[in-house]
Amino acid sequence: MLPTHCPSCRSQLKVKCMKCEQCETEVTGLYELPVLALLSDADKNFILKFVKYSGSLKEMASDLKLSYPTVRNMLNEIISKIADYENK
Amino acid sequence: MKTNEFGSLIFNPFKRIAGWEAFGIGLVIVVLTTFTGNFAGIYFDGVIDMHFAENFDSLKSWLMIPVNIISISVIMWLAGITVSKNFRFIDILGTMTLSRAPFLLIALASFFVKVPDLSGIMQDPFVIFDSISFIIILILTFPIIIWSVTLMYNAYKISTGASGQKLSISFIFGLIIAEIISKIIIYQIDKFI
Repeated sequence: MLPTHCPSCRSQLKVKCMKCEQCETEVTGLYELPVLALLSDADKNFILKFVKYSGSLKEMASDLKLSYPTVRNMLNEIISKIADYENK
Repeated sequence: MKTNEFGSLIFNPFKRIAGWEAFGIGLVIVVLTTFTGNFAGIYFDGVIDMHFAENFDSLKSWLMIPVNIISISVIMWLAGITVSKNFRFIDILGTMTLSRAPFLLIALASFFVKVPDLSGIMQDPFVIFDSISFIIILILTFPIIIWSVTLMYNAYKISTGASGQKLSISFIFGLIIAEIISKIIIYQIDKFI
């Protein structure tokens, strides 16, 4: 799993270095992590399922054996987290 | 079944059931409650209310079903609009209907109650102590109403997706207003029957 927060102070991490495994070239800088990478595994799995079900919350609810409003609330929480990350 | 799963099923089944499914199950239980209440002579005359009646009117008890369900659902829907968006009326209607399920226990227990002569209760309130079974059902009523209100709260929370103080305050106001409106409508029905 990609680390997204500092294990010492819990601040959000940034990407400092990327490496080409083919030619060993290293690109160094200070890059923001993509918003999706900042989400928890559970949230990422939810988004993957959401895409696979073509955005149908009804089908997702049926598959997850949860009620429609429960699934919609889970989606709303993820939307809220994404908005928070984008506003930081 | 694990304890927390059982607790979730008893106090918050709406994680798994909502919408038309909850409405269907809830309606069957509410009809069964009224049917049983007819034999026991008990009215469910309000959103969170019930009374034994001396001159029981079956038609009136059946009319209370739509009054109670529509009062709580419409008021909670209006309360929900003030604190949330993008929620469905059918989820409120379904979950609120299912929240009335605990009242079936009171209707069933009422079968075994010997109701004391309530006509003289104003002159002598201690008349209720003439029947131990009546005292028992009065005591049993409190946890069942608390259970039903807990279900209504979770129904409102899940259906609207609201949280925090807004959720609690709008729910309390909604419940009080729904109870008052249901009582007013039932009082009006009483005058026409």
